[in-house]
Amino acid sequence: MTVHKRRIVGNRLPRIDATSKVTGAIVYGADYARNGMIHGAILRSPHPHARIRNIDAREALAAPGVFCVVTAADIPSERFGSFVKDIDVFAKEVVRYKGHPVAAVGARTREEAEAALPLIRVEYEELPVVATVEEAMADDARLVHEEWESYEANATLVRRGNIANHTRLTVGDADAAFAGAWRVFEHSFRTNLQHPGYTEPRAAVAEWDQDRLTVWSSTQTPFEQQSTLAAIFRIPASNVRVSVPAIGGAFGGKLRIGVEHVAAALARKARRPAKVMLTLEEEIATGYCRQPAHIRLKLGVDRDLRIVAKAGRMLVDCGAMSGSGVGVASSGLLMLAGPYVIPNLAIEGFAVYTNKAPTGSFRAPSGPQGNFACESQMDMVARELGVDPLEFRLKNIVRDGDKGPTGQEMGTVSVEECLLKAAEAIGWDKPVVEPGRGRGIACGWWTMTGQSSNVFVKVNPDGRVVVNSGCAEIGSGAITGAMQVLAEELGVDLEDITVVNADTASTPFDFGAQGSRTASMVGNACADAVRNLAAKAFPVAAQIMGVTADSCSFGYKAIVSGNQSVPLAQVAASLQSGAGGLIAEGSYIQPGTPFDKDRTSGMVIPVVNSPSYHAHAVDLTVDEETGEVTINKYVVAQDVGFAINPTYIEGQIEGGVIQAIGQTMYEEIVWENGEVRNGNLTDYKMPTAEDAPEVVSILVERAGLTGPYGAKGVGEPPVIEPPATLANAVHDASGVRVTDLPITPEKIALGRVRGN
Amino acid sequence: MPELESAPDGDFSVNGNPVDATGHDGRPLVEFLRDVLNLTGTKIGCGNGECGACTVLVDGAAMCSCIVTAGSMRGSDVMTVEGLASDGRLTALQESFMRNGALQCGFCTPGMLMSATELLLRNPNPTRQEIVHFMNGNVCRCTGYAQIVEAIEEAARHG
Ligand code: FES
Ligand code: FES
Repeated sequence: MTVHKRRIVGNRLPRIDATSKVTGAIVYGADYARNGMIHGAILRSPHPHARIRNIDAREALAAPGVFCVVTAADIPSERFGSFVKDIDVFAKEVVRYKGHPVAAVGARTREEAEAALPLIRVEYEELPVVATVEEAMADDARLVHEEWESYEANATLVRRGNIANHTRLTVGDADAAFAGAWRVFEHSFRTNLQHPGYTEPRAAVAEWDQDRLTVWSSTQTPFEQQSTLAAIFRIPASNVRVSVPAIGGAFGGKLRIGVEHVAAALARKARRPAKVMLTLEEEIATGYCRQPAHIRLKLGVDRDLRIVAKAGRMLVDCGAMSGSGVGVASSGLLMLAGPYVIPNLAIEGFAVYTNKAPTGSFRAPSGPQGNFACESQMDMVARELGVDPLEFRLKNIVRDGDKGPTGQEMGTVSVEECLLKAAEAIGWDKPVVEPGRGRGIACGWWTMTGQSSNVFVKVNPDGRVVVNSGCAEIGSGAITGAMQVLAEELGVDLEDITVVNADTASTPFDFGAQGSRTASMVGNACADAVRNLAAKAFPVAAQIMGVTADSCSFGYKAIVSGNQSVPLAQVAASLQSGAGGLIAEGSYIQPGTPFDKDRTSGMVIPVVNSPSYHAHAVDLTVDEETGEVTINKYVVAQDVGFAINPTYIEGQIEGGVIQAIGQTMYEEIVWENGEVRNGNLTDYKMPTAEDAPEVVSILVERAGLTGPYGAKGVGEPPVIEPPATLANAVHDASGVRVTDLPITPEKIALGRVRGN
Repeated sequence: MPELESAPDGDFSVNGNPVDATGHDGRPLVEFLRDVLNLTGTKIGCGNGECGACTVLVDGAAMCSCIVTAGSMRGSDVMTVEGLASDGRLTALQESFMRNGALQCGFCTPGMLMSATELLLRNPNPTRQEIVHFMNGNVCRCTGYAQIVEAIEEAARHG
């Protein structure tokens, strides 16, 4: 097969929004402003669980600069939510976590709004607190949602009391397999609550014109916000316009509605535009964080070191609203199974309510939790059996033609290649000589959210191109990747393309900037648009050249036939004057992945769509005395299918690994008895430049079946394997096995003292 | 400079233009820049001096504009990200940030650029170690820092 060097895709081109970002010209959600805009501040519950007896806002309303106070009484609907409708804009009768919004003030300035908050008198009657998943799961547990049964919910969920979803993945007969196994191992793990840590706080501006609402917000999912806002305010979705300025990072934390509804409620009542932007303290205490999980895993192997059965249980601490936790308890089971051939599985998950802030869909939701348990255990078992952890994995991993845990097709399976490349790059074969130094390895797989993407593409009479896409640029550069596909296929330069900001009023539907899908799904839609542009442009070009339309193709800024060509601009100009312009739509709808329904219960995410495969390896040193860890080198071998823009893929890998080093080594929002203990950036430390080790990215390219040129999902996977990779290396270096994240120096030092 | 000292209270310059800060003395500089002068290139991340998103240059020194008041700027020259490019010509740092993937969401970028500008003013040939150390007060959640450090190295090389 001849490989043509491609002009645009596969090249390290600067992203299309780079200039506006280095000059400070680009406007983010947090920068957005309207004339006459008021500013909102949110009154939050001081109690983790309490009944609201009375709210008296009279004094606040009389305070300087105050325009309005809104409470649950100003919201026309009851509750909303994507899987379970268990979320209220403001608490009506019961507050369910410390930080639960109770009211909001709209005032001339943010300071005046904040000053009026304590003037709102709220009488609470405190209720017993469900502080932990263990308490929530107890038979006589107090209910976080007393009326859970009356809530509308997705029909796949299996709900009961404090359990928002009970999931099961069952294959074969695990009990019988364990009974016949040569060796059986059991381990427990705990993971931590991590904030996505985007640098732009959540912010939104809302404005009403009669019963028409416009919201400007840095959301990943404008169309979801549109329907959610319509339901909250009981107006037709067409009356809601959600427009997305630039997004200052999101990582899943801006997927679900955050402050948009509060801004809209204030604007509605004050009859003027309103802005709400969260403070850092509010962000840390109420951001949509990664759910902590308690995991138990049991693994049985035969004498040939083949896994014969795996069983386990994952408790997902959702906080007071189920949010994405019901999905985490689903995809988490697939992560716990891991990329291995296992004939017998019995894994279950529980998405559990507690009186803490609601959690969310942080980058690869369930990935780091499940992989930490799965891949730590693989290492622990290998060491107990006295075999090389890499060898033990290679004996059991999935390969081309194998089926996934729920019977799905697994695409082009590259986990072996990733493992071998990561191992080689870290020097797995070479002996470690220095004391306190060690290596770790882990592998995994991840899904790409599919659904649909749509674009309108217009070629202007000057040959430049305008793209309307309903998918926002989350920051990763994925929209640039999609535009590289368009430029390649249409024969233009990347600089010729302008992308209109996602806006539900003007851009076509898109499932949103989430799930590692943007470059592939929007890219596919662009490729489809080029086919439709060809259908319009080629007949015109053919006529000019005196050839047949089917002899035409797109050349460089031209339509060519044999050795003749006509400029793309000329064709666009002639279509503009004669036939409404050279404009076409493009669509891509990802087909579903078939699976065996009999193996699942409650699993709202039963398959790994268009899977990607990856392996990480690390070389680190543990200080003998302090337990301080120094990472000498970190390697990622990730199957990206096809690297549309290697620079930004490396950026995803480097950024993801550093973010995950944060989760693994120190980041944790600590809740005690329903309260956050570390609500600032000094106590909740995120990695800075000095914390970032060298990360080597190895881009494996085994073409997948979905994305353009075989591209696979890229953005989420880099955060999945670091917890297990680092835990395995810490054990190798120090002899201490840490099974609860984060792996702090204190835990390592303590482990050593205890001889763990 | 004597002529600046005799300027009325609150007066200072932003990107070379004189500004009147009357009535805004007690406000954080970042709010004055963003809300009064409409220079929203300077960002507010934490508002507490912990993230560096609001970094500007004050007489050539990088400073968090969220923890200094507009009033305290009297007589100073303040430079924001909007002041870097002149006549549409980007600085070497801006160009190398673009080329090296040093920005993703870009929200930390104005602060990063201002800090890096001070670094290269003081030390035109920094080592990698010096860059990492100097940039340690600017949080970036997207890039993992490597491409930012490379961009600064490249700008120093090609300055
Ligand atoms: S906003 Fe000033 S340091 Fe974070
Ligand atoms: S590029 Fe997003 S925070 Fe740095």
